[in-house]
Amino acid sequence: MAIQAAWICLFAPLAGAFAITVMGESITRRTAAWLSTVSVFVAFAGAVVAFVELLGKSAEEREQLSTAWTWLSTTNLEIGMTLLVDPLSVTMMLIVSGVGGLIVLYSIGYMDGDPEERRYFAYMSFFVFAMLLLVQAGNFLLLLAGWGLVGLASYLLIGFWHERKEAVDAAKKAFIMNAFGDATMALAFFVLIWQTGSLEFGDVFARAEGMSSTLLNLVALGLLGGAVAKSAQIPLHTWLPDAMEGPTPVSALIHAATMVTAGVYLIVRAHPLFELAPTIQDLAAGLGAITLVVAGLIALVQTDIKRVIAYSTMSQIGYMFVGVGLGAYANGMFHLMTHAFFKALLFMAAGLVIHHLAGEQDIRQMGGLRRVMPKTAIAFLVGSLALVGIPPLSGFFSKDSILASALASGGYGQLLFAAGAAGALLTGLYTFRLFFTVFLGQPSQLVLDRDHGEPHHRGEGPWTMTVPVAVLTVLAVVGGWLQIPDVWHPFGDWLHDVAEPLVEPSVAQDLLASALAVGVALIGIGIAWVFYGARRRDLPRAAALRDILEHKLYVDELYDAVFYRPAVWMAGMWRRTIEEPLIGGSIAGVSLGARRAGSALGETQTGYLRSYALAIAGAAAVLVVVFLAVQ
Amino acid sequence: MTTALIFLPFAAAVVVWLLPLPGRAIGSLALLAALAEVVLWLVALFQFDFEQQFDFASPQLADRQSWFSDLEVSYHVGFYGFSFWLAGLAVVVSTAAIGYALWADRERARAYHGLLLFLLGAIVGVFTAQDLLLFYVFFEAMLIPLYVLVGVWGGARRLRATATFVIYTMAGSLLMLASIIAFGISQGTFDLVESGGSDSTWIFLGFIAAFAVKAPLFPFHGWLVDAYRESPPEVAAILSGVVSKAAVYGLLRIAIAKFGEPLDEFQTTILALAAIGLVYGSLLAFRARDVRTVTAYSSMAQMGLIVIGLFSLSEIGLNGAILQSVAHGLISATLFLLAGMLELRGGTSAFAALGGLARGRPALATILMTTGVIALAVPGSVAFAGEFLILVGVYGVGWGWAAVGAGAIVLAAMYMLRLISGVLHGRRGPAATDSARDLRPAELALLVPLVGLLLFLSAWPAAITERSFPIDFPDEAAQAQAEAEP
Amino acid sequence: MDGPDLAWYLIVSAILFSIGTLGVLVRRSPLIVLLSLEIMLNAANLALISFARLHGGHDGQIFALTVMAVAASEVVVGLGLIVAMSRRRLTLDVDSFRLLRG
Repeated sequence: MAIQAAWICLFAPLAGAFAITVMGESITRRTAAWLSTVSVFVAFAGAVVAFVELLGKSAEEREQLSTAWTWLSTTNLEIGMTLLVDPLSVTMMLIVSGVGGLIVLYSIGYMDGDPEERRYFAYMSFFVFAMLLLVQAGNFLLLLAGWGLVGLASYLLIGFWHERKEAVDAAKKAFIMNAFGDATMALAFFVLIWQTGSLEFGDVFARAEGMSSTLLNLVALGLLGGAVAKSAQIPLHTWLPDAMEGPTPVSALIHAATMVTAGVYLIVRAHPLFELAPTIQDLAAGLGAITLVVAGLIALVQTDIKRVIAYSTMSQIGYMFVGVGLGAYANGMFHLMTHAFFKALLFMAAGLVIHHLAGEQDIRQMGGLRRVMPKTAIAFLVGSLALVGIPPLSGFFSKDSILASALASGGYGQLLFAAGAAGALLTGLYTFRLFFTVFLGQPSQLVLDRDHGEPHHRGEGPWTMTVPVAVLTVLAVVGGWLQIPDVWHPFGDWLHDVAEPLVEPSVAQDLLASALAVGVALIGIGIAWVFYGARRRDLPRAAALRDILEHKLYVDELYDAVFYRPAVWMAGMWRRTIEEPLIGGSIAGVSLGARRAGSALGETQTGYLRSYALAIAGAAAVLVVVFLAVQ
Repeated sequence: MTTALIFLPFAAAVVVWLLPLPGRAIGSLALLAALAEVVLWLVALFQFDFEQQFDFASPQLADRQSWFSDLEVSYHVGFYGFSFWLAGLAVVVSTAAIGYALWADRERARAYHGLLLFLLGAIVGVFTAQDLLLFYVFFEAMLIPLYVLVGVWGGARRLRATATFVIYTMAGSLLMLASIIAFGISQGTFDLVESGGSDSTWIFLGFIAAFAVKAPLFPFHGWLVDAYRESPPEVAAILSGVVSKAAVYGLLRIAIAKFGEPLDEFQTTILALAAIGLVYGSLLAFRARDVRTVTAYSSMAQMGLIVIGLFSLSEIGLNGAILQSVAHGLISATLFLLAGMLELRGGTSAFAALGGLARGRPALATILMTTGVIALAVPGSVAFAGEFLILVGVYGVGWGWAAVGAGAIVLAAMYMLRLISGVLHGRRGPAATDSARDLRPAELALLVPLVGLLLFLSAWPAAITERSFPIDFPDEAAQAQAEAEP
Repeated sequence: MDGPDLAWYLIVSAILFSIGTLGVLVRRSPLIVLLSLEIMLNAANLALISFARLHGGHDGQIFALTVMAVAASEVVVGLGLIVAMSRRRLTLDVDSFRLLRG
């Protein structure tokens, strides 16, 4: 039963996307939108059924594999279209289809009126299918297929308004950086195939122990490369802020709740391999720590509402990487789940703001929206508090569990803890900078122009938009109550058999981590209040630092110089030096040579009768001599 | 059955040349003949026994007639699993090409369609020939219609393109002829199934020369860009999609199956040339300025990849090469037909003139986007499956090759996305006028089956890989051992 | 065999042949070239008959008769061409007919 539900969960969104594509203009835009939404909710229903089924089973029975057909097979390698239903995959299924369904529903209102709505909803359904394929895949190759297809969906959706050059460029950049991650993962798989003869999870994990440590490190590094690209961690992070060119629900779904967390999922799924390559696992945690601090810093100088939230996402995924990098798999996944709730909430609330202000995204144009959109303000506030980690909201439990695990992981872990604490301060700072600037204070000129400072008489948006926001608000509050350290931990138990944690913090460490984190976060909020709250004190100058942060540490320029420009230069140079001579030259050379040889030989045709006669006589003489000599 | 598959197009060509019907009618007749060929291939599909152990000594559906008995030359044709798929590719792509020619209403339709059918017959002959001289005859027979098709119906610079193309191909073919004669005389027979192996470097190189030009392999690709640019779109589709696979067949059936020592000697060199071609083609595709040139260089890159798969000399690499051959054939054909359709609307397929075509043209956008992302081997697609198998195979030779191949994945993404955006996205260029309408039903009828096949194979690549080299491929050691025994 | 040795006949034949060859190669008038050609042919005839006489068979004599017939035909054609050329007042110089050069 669970398996059939899983198959339905996987294929319902694909069927939706296919139907919308094929029926094209014969259905109305609204119908297409609802078709897509329903298909995703059907997937959610399937996920719930699978979940309930698994709950009723004992631990051993909770891993179910089902192969529908052989996808690829040669004599030595067989890859099936295999689904894996286990606690980890079911958790992801629920998050993807649940939060996804809410966001697609929200899109109905948000994208209303756009002439290309059908395409949008086809792409959204396709994305949900691809993401579900990724999390339900029973072998690495199918996982990579899902991995690549979500990258494709992301490209299609970022570049949705394809008449904007910025959107198209952002889409291409996202795809190409992810293609790099795909390539490193493929390399890891080559090694795995030659060493273990299979790409099925069970086979690989069982046989991997025999591999040399160099190879294990390479494999883990390859997987990490893919994870870093997909989750926009440093150094492959520059595509994520640009991805905000896509519609806001896309940012909510793909670039906050689901696709970017795929890297975390991969590390948890492949944790036996990472545990065999502890250096790489530590590297993952380290990259996560660096990212969470740097992203927090960059978020401080962003002026686009979506970009602040994007960098926040990058930073929070850094936390997840720290968690899984240290072996606290359940904690990392827990934060993944709560983050999906409050980050999607934040994006959607931001979407309500953008929608209300007819597309304006610059926070310097906003202010005092609390009076005009009170419900949105509450939603945003809840999301912000959850993000910052204020108890009893969800972010508190999840983030602090990771910090506690860091504390419990020895010297390196404590270093990471320090980074995490710094990150918490930054989180409080940039989050409330955003909240205060947008919602508090005097209404800005733009806000006044829009509605003369009064609550919008038609409500803050259609029900298709406000209901999902409300649901997520509730989830952002209560979602964390699934795992209260040392009191009850059903989440940790649920995932225990799939990914046993490497570290279990003590009660004291839990309390210490939480106290420090909350304290630091409150300091951050306080600083934000000072500069951005009611009084709005002036900011310190620090122009150079500001420049570096605004240019995202110049990483984009670095990639441009190291990869893009050399590629262009090399292509141009080869074209001039090799291609043109080869195409033009070779044939010209051949014909010239042929002509020269022809005229040289033509010299023998003198036209003189006597020279021909001499030639005949001479040849005859030579032949006579030869015959005589041979005799 | 095999003979029927080869000679049906020839017979149809003669009929088409002789019947004095007007253009559209003769085109429909040609299309009907091509469809009949497809049906015949499907019938053969059911007759073919895919369970039978793969062995070069026993081709299926074979026909044999003695030709020059004192030289031991015979008319010997037959299929193996992998060549069966290549023939299927040829048949499908040719049908689409003939359909396109019908729809585009070519001048002097009788000659044109007759030549296309003749070409199809020659191609199927190449894929089934089991006698070296017969192989040579069909190989050269492919050249004649191509020469005329490009030289008469081609674009502005067709004469130079044709001259280059013919000179390159003939140079390679003459070397191959020398090798064939030397091989046949030294073995005492020209039959591929009966003859044994050879260790002669020169004979080996003679064969490689012809196939290196046909594929093409860097640096023998000088004919490629002009030929693909100046041909009519459907001829370019056949050229890049199918004719280049004749090199694949030749390399497998002759170079790899028959030579032991030279393979070891030259494996690294050929892999290196193929890898260079892969990177070189990809980079040049990245900076190309119109759909045709991108597709041409991408074709070169993909053929480099396929040759890498072949010369990995591993069963998994060979499987990948065949799968990728079929995939690339379909992709390349679709892209060239699309380029042709764009040229019909705007006069050009240059990116500077196009752009912004996605708005209001959902069919074009969907088809181009789908083909484009499959072309760049997005994981999950058939091209990715082929590429993956090839790289797994070549990893066994050396991890460096696999790394280059993996890097090429990124390059492919770069140039294909540029192609897609250049046509569909951004602001509308001067050629993207309102009269450049969306794809019509006739055009869709050509493209949808090709794209549909690609999607089908993306969902089930095992359809081909399980049936190309069923069970164990005889590697060099086993083959040498078998030959050593009397 | 009566008379001088075979060798003398062959020497005479060789001398005649050389005179003829030189004539063909050196002289510029077509008439003289034809004449020299005749001398070469007769030298060959002499050699043939000598050998026929040596071996006692008839083959050489028959062959010589054939050669004479061919020589006669070829002279007719050649002289006809020369007469035609002189009637059109063309220079009778072998070197001036160079149209077929490469």
